[in-house]
Amino acid sequence: MTDFILKRVAALLLPFIQMYGLYVILHGHVSPGGSFAGGIVVGLAFIAFTTIYGLKKGRAKISEKATALVESYGTLWYGLMGMVGVFKGAPFLANKIAGIDLGELGALSSGGLIGLIGLGVGIRVSSTMITLFFTMIEEES
Amino acid sequence: MRVLLDELMVNYPYFAAMILFIIGAFTVLTRSNLFKKLIGINIMESAIFLMFIAAGNIRGGAVPILDEANPQTVCINPLPSALMLTGIVVSVSVTAFALALIIRLHQSYGTTDARRIAELRKRWHANEGNH
Amino acid sequence: MRATIEVHLPVFVVIMPLFVAFVLPTLARRIRLVEGVVTSTTVLWFLGAGYLASLVLIRNGNPIGYSLGGWPAPWGIELSVGSLSCLFLLMVAGVSLPVALFAAGNMAHEVGGPKRITRFYVLCLLLGGALAGMAVTSDLFNVFVLVEVATLSCCGLVSSRNHPLAAEAAFNYLILATLGSALILGGIGFLYIITGHLNMGFASQELNRIWQEYPHVVWMAVSFLLVGFGVKSALFPLHVWLPDAHSAAPSPASAILSGLAVKGYAICLIKVLYNVFGVALIQELGMHRILTLLGMIAITAGSLFALTQDKLKRRLAFSTVAQVGYIFLGLGLANSMSLAGTLFHMASHAVIKSGLFLAAGAIIATTGNDRISEMAGVGRQMPITMAAFTVCSVSLVGIPLFSGFIGKWNLLLGSLEAGNRLAQAVIILGSVLCAAYLFPIIRVAYFEPAPAADWQDPGLPQKTALILLAAGVILLGVAPGPFLELAKRAALDLLVMK
Repeated sequence: MTDFILKRVAALLLPFIQMYGLYVILHGHVSPGGSFAGGIVVGLAFIAFTTIYGLKKGRAKISEKATALVESYGTLWYGLMGMVGVFKGAPFLANKIAGIDLGELGALSSGGLIGLIGLGVGIRVSSTMITLFFTMIEEES
Repeated sequence: MRVLLDELMVNYPYFAAMILFIIGAFTVLTRSNLFKKLIGINIMESAIFLMFIAAGNIRGGAVPILDEANPQTVCINPLPSALMLTGIVVSVSVTAFALALIIRLHQSYGTTDARRIAELRKRWHANEGNH
Repeated sequence: MRATIEVHLPVFVVIMPLFVAFVLPTLARRIRLVEGVVTSTTVLWFLGAGYLASLVLIRNGNPIGYSLGGWPAPWGIELSVGSLSCLFLLMVAGVSLPVALFAAGNMAHEVGGPKRITRFYVLCLLLGGALAGMAVTSDLFNVFVLVEVATLSCCGLVSSRNHPLAAEAAFNYLILATLGSALILGGIGFLYIITGHLNMGFASQELNRIWQEYPHVVWMAVSFLLVGFGVKSALFPLHVWLPDAHSAAPSPASAILSGLAVKGYAICLIKVLYNVFGVALIQELGMHRILTLLGMIAITAGSLFALTQDKLKRRLAFSTVAQVGYIFLGLGLANSMSLAGTLFHMASHAVIKSGLFLAAGAIIATTGNDRISEMAGVGRQMPITMAAFTVCSVSLVGIPLFSGFIGKWNLLLGSLEAGNRLAQAVIILGSVLCAAYLFPIIRVAYFEPAPAADWQDPGLPQKTALILLAAGVILLGVAPGPFLELAKRAALDLLVMK
């Protein structure tokens, strides 16, 4: 696609869309939305970029290897966060009873491990969306 | 009759879910186009999601976020909504996987019609002898 | 350290395969390493399951509970490892190990390049983790999520074969299985609406207190769940996807799908029926008669269909339909003997059927042909493969000293206890038909004149896998001790209302 307006508007908007996605991921434990919805927004930003600027430029932004790595380690991150509880002598995925400071209600740094787990999930979801999209359009072409 | 109508009015989300479910199941089972089958699956799953969310809803209830000013507010039950988020994720992945399979089928058979594919496969079997 | 592992073992057996699965794609370029990691994971997994089983046996079958995140039962997700879970875990891990061995270095002709092979292993481990999760979870929604993970991995495994037939079989499987999951989710939804609980124990208490107020909803729930799990575990009239999917999948995948995956859904159904509804409510609703009837139809029809197949893997796939019938028959008879028989038969069939499918895979890969009528001479040229096949067949028929006998014997005792003449007849008829569709294969392979071909047994890991499975069959038959003990305890647990 060579639409000038589309490209300019996308260039202006996409960074903010991504930032919004990150915001939703990071505030998942204190406000509606969360890692899944935020991850989708981040993933969709990449998908929109690829549909507007073409497959080649899209792949240049985020390579196949990068999505594969992020996908694997996003999930592993979740597992590691779960293991924190085990190492502290509490059950898997434990949060408060593993002695983690929950902070003040409503603050960004509250909720103990939940925010960190959400980060892993969000990364994972966005990379999965990107992988799915690329798999489909690459099979077509 | 009045009683039945009253029940219908009060429980309309469940009836909507039932109708959606039947539409979905009917589409899956009777259409031979693979895309339509997939759409049927999605309609059917939406019906179930609707049923769950209707079960968790309290009419006039607030968003289930802790409000320190008045902690006695009636909130809707957040659990079904959270569960259905998981359900939606699952249905998205099923859809994505099915679409990928449809692409593969289209590449090897050149059609997205289930009946046509079955015919082609039978011919293939007859020619090849073994698979 | 040991105490820590002991406490967390119920969750480790589930998350270990899952997390190994997620690391695997990063190793895709070194396929040997991937295979090594997968095999060692299954070994570790088997040891973990064995240790857990011994713990439960020492505790006299008292279930080990585990609350995820430290949230107790009605709020959080509770894992509970009892005799049933242990038996199932042992079965899953014990079958995965030989299958992983068999797959090592043997996937290229059916699946393709290293990347695709890695994806195959990822799906295997995901399926394994989901099955382990089904065994230990006691949360209804968790059951649904695990069922979905297992279903998607199963479809992925079927479609991993580089053949258009596989894609079609996988698509049909996916559509029917998703229909099944929607029904399962609907059933769970009905249960949640009337009980307000997702934990099996709490839901069961509430359900048995209030079910008379909502008889229609209870009926809807139980029929949704029965049809949903019936589609997934290939109960007879709903089995249509199974023969295509299981015969189109790569052989190690067929072994896992037929041996384990189908039983995972059956275990979920057992848990939902007996732990949530409870045996009293099932009998009140008359469900046990429906289950028995469906089981009997499945045994007869599955066996008859198997008789008419000339393709080896299809015949084995229909045989799975028949054996699923035994599971449902035992569930329907609903006494301790029949349930113990069902559970033991489930485990022994897992070993037998994976042995059969792996042997069939080796034969098809060597001869390049999957017609039974053209298998002449295989017995002499591939002695170890065919010996394993024979041991497994003989066991499936139910000849004493082999594992299939013990399961069927207990089922027969159960049907005597229930006083169901027809069930006794069908159990015996099933065995006879089983002999009728399996023994001709052995006859053709050993006694028909061989063509001048140079066929050989597969490589060392494959041979080891086949020998391990055959040895497992004989071990389960000669010394069923701890396994039968687990099955009997599990049966008693299921029958006692909590």
